[in-house]
Amino acid sequence: MGLRLGRWGIAGFSMVAFVSTFVQTTGFYQIAGHTPAERAALGASMSALAAQFVALFPPPIRPDTVGGYVEFRAFHSLAIIFAVWALASATGFARGDEERGIVEAALASGTSRGALTASRTIAFAIAAGVASAVAAAGFVAGVASGHETVAAGGVVEAGALLAALTVSCYALSLLVAQLAAARAATAAASALLLGLFLVNSLSRVFASLSTWRWASPFRYYELSQPLPPGGNFDPRSLLVLIGISILAAAAAGWAFTRRDLGAPLVHVPPLSYRSSHDAARTPVWRIAVVRSLYVSRLGLLAWSVGMAVMAAVFVSLTRTIVQVLLSIPTLLPYLSIFVHQRLYPAVLGYTWFNVAQLMLAAFAITYVARWSAEDKDGRLEIFLSTPQSRAGIVVERMAVLAAGAVLIAGVSGIVLFYVSHAQGIDLNGQRLAAASLMLVPFALVFAGVGSLLAAWNPRAAVGLLGGFAFASYLDTELATIYKLPLWLQDLSAFKLFGTPLLNGVDGRNLALMMLLACAGLGSSILAMQRRDVGA
Amino acid sequence: MLREMAAAAIRTSRLTKDYGRGRGLFDLDLQIPEQEVFGYLGPNGSGKTTTIRLLMGMIRATGGSAHIFGLDSTRDSVEVKRRVGYLPGDVPQFGSLRGAEVVAYLGGMRGGVDRRHVRAIAERFDLDLNRRYREYSSGNKQKLAILLAFMHRPDLLILDEPTSGLDPLNQREFYALLGDARDDGATVFFSSHVLSEVEHVCDRVGILRAGKLVKVAQLDELRRIRVHRVEIEFAPDADVPEGRLRSASGVENLSVSGRVVMCTVHGSFDGLLDAIAGTRVVDLVSTEPSLEEFFLTFFGEPKPKALTP
Repeated sequence: MGLRLGRWGIAGFSMVAFVSTFVQTTGFYQIAGHTPAERAALGASMSALAAQFVALFPPPIRPDTVGGYVEFRAFHSLAIIFAVWALASATGFARGDEERGIVEAALASGTSRGALTASRTIAFAIAAGVASAVAAAGFVAGVASGHETVAAGGVVEAGALLAALTVSCYALSLLVAQLAAARAATAAASALLLGLFLVNSLSRVFASLSTWRWASPFRYYELSQPLPPGGNFDPRSLLVLIGISILAAAAAGWAFTRRDLGAPLVHVPPLSYRSSHDAARTPVWRIAVVRSLYVSRLGLLAWSVGMAVMAAVFVSLTRTIVQVLLSIPTLLPYLSIFVHQRLYPAVLGYTWFNVAQLMLAAFAITYVARWSAEDKDGRLEIFLSTPQSRAGIVVERMAVLAAGAVLIAGVSGIVLFYVSHAQGIDLNGQRLAAASLMLVPFALVFAGVGSLLAAWNPRAAVGLLGGFAFASYLDTELATIYKLPLWLQDLSAFKLFGTPLLNGVDGRNLALMMLLACAGLGSSILAMQRRDVGA
Repeated sequence: MLREMAAAAIRTSRLTKDYGRGRGLFDLDLQIPEQEVFGYLGPNGSGKTTTIRLLMGMIRATGGSAHIFGLDSTRDSVEVKRRVGYLPGDVPQFGSLRGAEVVAYLGGMRGGVDRRHVRAIAERFDLDLNRRYREYSSGNKQKLAILLAFMHRPDLLILDEPTSGLDPLNQREFYALLGDARDDGATVFFSSHVLSEVEHVCDRVGILRAGKLVKVAQLDELRRIRVHRVEIEFAPDADVPEGRLRSASGVENLSVSGRVVMCTVHGSFDGLLDAIAGTRVVDLVSTEPSLEEFFLTFFGEPKPKALTP
């Protein structure tokens, strides 16, 4: 049953994995050249790039080889993407399926809670194994296209590590979802996985964190880099990941047997309760847009705080990153293109705003998931039974997302400004404000596409939008490698965002983003007008 | 003719939604005057929900038209919904919102909430609006959905199987609420698959089968065509009045086993009660057949295929 329920996830993430490894591998042969000198130059530029992302990914081994390049460019990113898949699958099983009555039906059929937990965990392990094998196959196919060969052992080890990390993230999320209340399960599991990821990755910059990184499964994943020549594979790390998976899944199964369906393991009774027959008095419910923001106020607060904290962390990282960059003599020719005072904005613009773009894309995807859920759960039907036009509902959804994006971008921009000022990094306030607000049309591009997908096919909208975001990101990564036409590059919001902190807002790109968002909005209104709701 | 059309709360003309392979709703011609309580009766999958979604403009008709108070249900849907209260067949999910917030949310989308009216309905059903939606039982979710449909005193109530999930006590309260709404001038379009339920509250009944309206009947006509299966157990010292029962009006398919008599009764029970008058009865059970059995008896046709879109 677990495999059947998750079949679209398996198909989608396998496809993402294959495309990612295959495209990065073939991309390597496009840009690496054939002489040792050309490949050494590529390795140096990759090391420079890696130094800027040291807070996210470990430094690559031999990036001048196809194995080292793909390990860094594809497998490390896939580890994050697969962790998100594990999170969504685990909380979907523990809480989503429970709310839909699927868990109740399974238990009523005579399956024990322990057996159900075990079967779903094993099903996900098979799914993760399949997707990881497909990732490895993409790499092998790409290498074959370059008329080279790689050691089969390294490929198998890379796939096994990716699968083990994914399953350990699944089991940990499953455990947290048993402990937290239904509405907080996803947020709590996300916070745990994000925390474990950051403890490990930031320990490369902040030495004080290195005492805690043993607790992170990402640490054990990174202890091995089996693909490049001279790389390493630590079998004990693989065993630790498998051990984490088994222990966390067993603990989740135990917690599941101890709690009531629909309730967390530890239930805190409310201090006082008074029944009521009255409607809520808060006036916000009467104001369009504001009422929807009010409904999602806790989520917005969590996004704003999370982004603000990340902004502060990235400012702190920037100093370290700049020092690392300046300490590498081979990089000085690359860095000389920057005026010294502009190095900080360049690095912050590259690191923080790259991450902020990904976060805003994720923010838009969560809203599109909510629109899809409104459709599936019958809320859209009841909203449309009030005197609201379909176009009005689509426009209100977009306005709510825009307002949320303004809030998140604004808060993180303000924090970025004050923290950088406190650390002696003087940023141009106007540029920073413009760059932060540029995140809003960026999010609206995804909202426009998501709105169209949600109006056209709400069940597939989230998966398709995730695919669109992935393709957009690949578009920017590969545009120069594959010499893609300009119009195709301009379809990517990541490309259109540009480098506003360093170079200011590009009016043409801003106009194109607004055009894409408006096209998405207009076409989604048309699609919504024509479709059947509730059928 | 024009006056009649203007007075109709609901008017459909050859309204069709074709899902293919014989599934859907076909050529529905219906006219429901204002202040009427109209029961829409049909077995599962007969097209009741499809009709209701067409009237609400949720789905687009393949052919024909539907008008509510003279307004096109699709083109003028915003104006239509100002005057309509809707209870969908599947209760929507509101997750962790409290009942009070759901009412305020939907009320806000209507421009405001009549708080006294909301309170009156919630008290009537003893519905605690301080609870989170996901904590509600299915019956309480249904009560909340009823409250949402009635809270703005609509001119027309379109209700898709409104009593499903309600216990008998709350069903009675719902019928009373429906009666009050009707006394206040509301029109009610009310789908059900329970024959006795529509008898309680409706002025007229439309019977839907396999996506087609097969009969529109007044209540007294419905009572004539209704069927009950009856089992009577007579006292040990009493004579079974078999002869009187066989000749009684409306009594059919009689079988006698010792002191137990089984039969079906069409329409009124008067003939049966006259036949057993003066004889000591220790048990009498009357059961209503399912709609499928009703169709089999009444129309003499096999059970229709499921038509759920």
